[in-house]
Amino acid sequence: MSTPQVNARLPAAAAPPPEVERAVLRALQIAAVLCAVVVVVLVAVHELTRHDDPLKSPQLAALKARLLAEPQNEALKEQIRALDLQLRRRHAWVLAVYRDGAWILAGAAVALVLLGKLWGRWHAELPRPRPRPDAAERYVRATQRARRLAAAVGALALAALGWLSLSARSPVPADPAALEKWLARLQGGAAGETPADLPDPAEYAANWPRFLGPTGNPRVTTLALALKFDLATGAGLRWKTPLAAPGFNSPLIWSNRVFLSGGDASVRRVFAFDLATGRLAWERAVTNVPGSPALPPEVPESTGFAASTMATDGRRVYALFANGDLAAFTLEGAPVWAKNLGAPQNPYGHATSLVTWRDRLLVQYDQAEPEKNLSRLYALEGATGRVLWQKPRPVGASWATPVVFEAAGKTQIGTLGGDFVIAYHVADGAELWRARLLSGEITPSPHFATGRFLGISPGDRLFALRPDGAGDVTKTHLVWESDESVPDITSPVSDDAHVYTVLSHGVVACHDLQTGKLVWEHELGFEVNASPALVGERLYVFGTKGAMAVLEVGPAARELARLDLGEGVFASPALAQGVMVVRTVKTLFCVGPDTAPALEAKRP
Amino acid sequence: MKLARFSALLLLLAGGWLAGLPGPARAGESELRFPPPEFESDYVMPPGITTPPPRGVVREYADLAVLLGALGLATWLVHRRRSRRGLAALSVFSLVYFGFFRHGCVCPIGAPQNVAYGLFTPEYTLPLTVLLFFLAPLVVALFAGRAFCAAVCPHGALQDLVLLRPVKVPLWVEQGLAPLPYLFLGGGVLLAATGVGFLICRWDPFVPLFRMSGSFLMLSVGGVFVVASMFIGRPFCRFLCPYGALLRLAALVSRWRVRITPTTCTQCRLCEHSCPFGAIREPLALPVSPATLAPERRRLGWLLVALPVLVALGAWVGTRVAVPAARLHPNVALLERYLASATANPAQAPAGMSASNAAPAAAPGVAHPTGPGAGPTPESRALVRAELETPRLAAQAAELRRRLTAAGGWFGGWVGLVLGLRLVTLSVRTARTDFEPDRGACLACGRCYLSCPNERLRLGLITPEEAARLTAAPPPAAARAGS
Repeated sequence: MSTPQVNARLPAAAAPPPEVERAVLRALQIAAVLCAVVVVVLVAVHELTRHDDPLKSPQLAALKARLLAEPQNEALKEQIRALDLQLRRRHAWVLAVYRDGAWILAGAAVALVLLGKLWGRWHAELPRPRPRPDAAERYVRATQRARRLAAAVGALALAALGWLSLSARSPVPADPAALEKWLARLQGGAAGETPADLPDPAEYAANWPRFLGPTGNPRVTTLALALKFDLATGAGLRWKTPLAAPGFNSPLIWSNRVFLSGGDASVRRVFAFDLATGRLAWERAVTNVPGSPALPPEVPESTGFAASTMATDGRRVYALFANGDLAAFTLEGAPVWAKNLGAPQNPYGHATSLVTWRDRLLVQYDQAEPEKNLSRLYALEGATGRVLWQKPRPVGASWATPVVFEAAGKTQIGTLGGDFVIAYHVADGAELWRARLLSGEITPSPHFATGRFLGISPGDRLFALRPDGAGDVTKTHLVWESDESVPDITSPVSDDAHVYTVLSHGVVACHDLQTGKLVWEHELGFEVNASPALVGERLYVFGTKGAMAVLEVGPAARELARLDLGEGVFASPALAQGVMVVRTVKTLFCVGPDTAPALEAKRP
Repeated sequence: MKLARFSALLLLLAGGWLAGLPGPARAGESELRFPPPEFESDYVMPPGITTPPPRGVVREYADLAVLLGALGLATWLVHRRRSRRGLAALSVFSLVYFGFFRHGCVCPIGAPQNVAYGLFTPEYTLPLTVLLFFLAPLVVALFAGRAFCAAVCPHGALQDLVLLRPVKVPLWVEQGLAPLPYLFLGGGVLLAATGVGFLICRWDPFVPLFRMSGSFLMLSVGGVFVVASMFIGRPFCRFLCPYGALLRLAALVSRWRVRITPTTCTQCRLCEHSCPFGAIREPLALPVSPATLAPERRRLGWLLVALPVLVALGAWVGTRVAVPAARLHPNVALLERYLASATANPAQAPAGMSASNAAPAAAPGVAHPTGPGAGPTPESRALVRAELETPRLAAQAAELRRRLTAAGGWFGGWVGLVLGLRLVTLSVRTARTDFEPDRGACLACGRCYLSCPNERLRLGLITPEEAARLTAAPPPAAARAGS
């Protein structure tokens, strides 16, 4: 290529006066220094304050923990307020430094660029093309180097991908087949405890490990209890003991212990009493559960925070509260685990009780409306609290407690909620069958007796289903239903021939277990919210204002006793180890065949 | 279609759109969603306690109208008016409007991810505005080259406006690093299509600066890019921008291209170093000597044979990145963190229970306080959620891995293809007779216009005599090729 003839230069920008040039240079330097200084300051502030999060201050957390133990310490409260204010002020100062620093930096950067461009225009180098006859050789060299660089970039990219794929380790299996097995194991859950670690079925049946007894049918056959006793004086009672915390949950009995829970929005506790004497063996607060809502949900006083009855598998006791806190303790009171299931959206407050099966804890967590799809049935590993499986339920808030039973060769979990009776396989939560038989606010709990699944649609129908179906069994497996004398709150109890129910306004009804036909009704005359218990042929019914009645039931009813406890009862009694334990709104008392003088167990 | 009509059409579209838009959206105004309670005391509810107004859809259409208008104006400024000053002014407007006012979102750079996500996720409906944000600059590039990059993209505008003293990047570096934007594009599309995340948005260095908010790391990266832009022309646009990779391809076949000279090139070489982005190519003759041609042809042949091998190799490697790629999804990362902690500490004290709570009650009836530092943290809450939802998270992780295994193969093949094609194009010579901008690399900034004496002559800045003095009007380069 020939050399172009460049005989003149392109006109350059006019040179500024020296003093102006010096001023611009000085301003340029100032802008550059200001930029650098602001950047250094911002970086330094960030490094020095990155751990000063007012939400995570360990000092503040320690003071708040102290306040839990000393709730009346006003000086401590002032100290917390002062420290909180100091931390927030500091955080606000940091944010202001960032904000102002950013604007100053932006302004200085704009000035730097504008002055730099002006300086550049004054000192622009004009083009001076030089002879370059070797364009082809330069092209060859350039493309050769470019090919090598592109190859290096590509090799680096492939090597990086390869290294990532080889070095990445994940606890979740990568192999698809292994992943499927791992998922199935996760969903089914291998039992963490061996059968030898757990109580045998006979021991389980001999205690009162869940709401309404081991089978959900509150009936014992080999027990003779005292008929008359006086709660006020203690006459006729084994013991009575005052309760320190409110709650509507029913007591449990396991071995020599009585368990129940109580609490309110500020604190919730689990209690264990000695079955022989009624003395408090231990109590534990359930606090600082991870995920527990900072503000407890609004719960009506008629339900309270401790409406769910606890459950035990003979090795641990479990408690659930209306803010979603779920806790596990050993029978001796040592905490095992705690978690929060999320504050339930329940208009009356959560009241469904816990159930155990072998080493698992089953939680029916129905809430909100069906379309929100928040209701769940959980199976947790009792030893660790690990969720083994969970199933969404097509129902809204409900309050009935599920029941575990053996039928059709499977261990089934029978649930009531929303419009549906649904049975799940206990191993993996797979839905076995469902029936659309319910309506209204589902509160009475079901049970399984003589091959029939008995349930109640409140105020609507009492029904019996054959639990050996699959899919929708609404039209195929309904054995009988009755719309006479159907309760709305209490759960039924049955013996070998009859089903007994108690309506809230105080009517006891008896239905034939095989046909559902109403056999008789008996007026009690007092309001009842607690589910009755059947001891032999005697039905114990407790009223909300303290009235109590004992009926001899069967083909006909005969009132044997009527007492006034003086304190309302909303919880169902526990019957095991030869005694009956009853919880009133203020007192826990024990009735047995022994008529020794009552001793009030004072709180140490 | 003539250029003027094309530009006018875009402007009319924009104007008509803006005129047709409703006034301030009532739906966008904030409102009290629920009436306040009737306070019995003298408490007065502070004003302004409302839910923030939703971003009105009308604003997105307004942004689209502004984009179309800016593209039309940029096209006219680049090809008809040939005004660097006009382009600079439009750059300032774009930086202020699309950058600082609209905070860089929605932008065409991230839009390929939305398109990919919409194509592979039935539950997601791609908004029309996002689709048009993605398509409009590409359609314009098919006709008028990279007018979007010229003065409409806020990222490019910021880099362009802060350029002070450009350092020339050697051509071999520029060409050797050319695959990078395509790899970034491929990675972004891969992760968006599989539902893992929007990588391009997450790693955008300039949006945190526009919003004056972001993580320390991304703000620092943005600052580094701004400082680098002062000395290296548009580093992000040239070496990283994934949307620029698409625009480059469209510009290669554009109907109108940027020409330095308005008439004929006189080979005066005054424009040779006028481009701060290294986009001007000098005249190049094709070799005729067999000694030169033969080895080049052999190399090209080998590269063409190697191309499918590279694609296959890349695809094979790509199928194995599912595990690390899935970890970019927040739920998968949470699940792995939870499982790792559960595996490492199976016997640790359960959360929520302090040592003091584990002791038998010395004073029954008194709640035991928890230890210092106890209390739920966002981390512990996340782990609790992971524990409760382990099966669902595990199923999601498995599904993501399955999708990433298939998509990773495509991405790996894409990497191989990009690399192979780059090597092939670097082995193919393109003859040029004039100094002209590279079609794909030219960002249409307009800086080269005034370096051409013929342009200055056209603008009346110099006389014909001065123009003649500046150049010696040598014979055309093609005629000299055989000598």
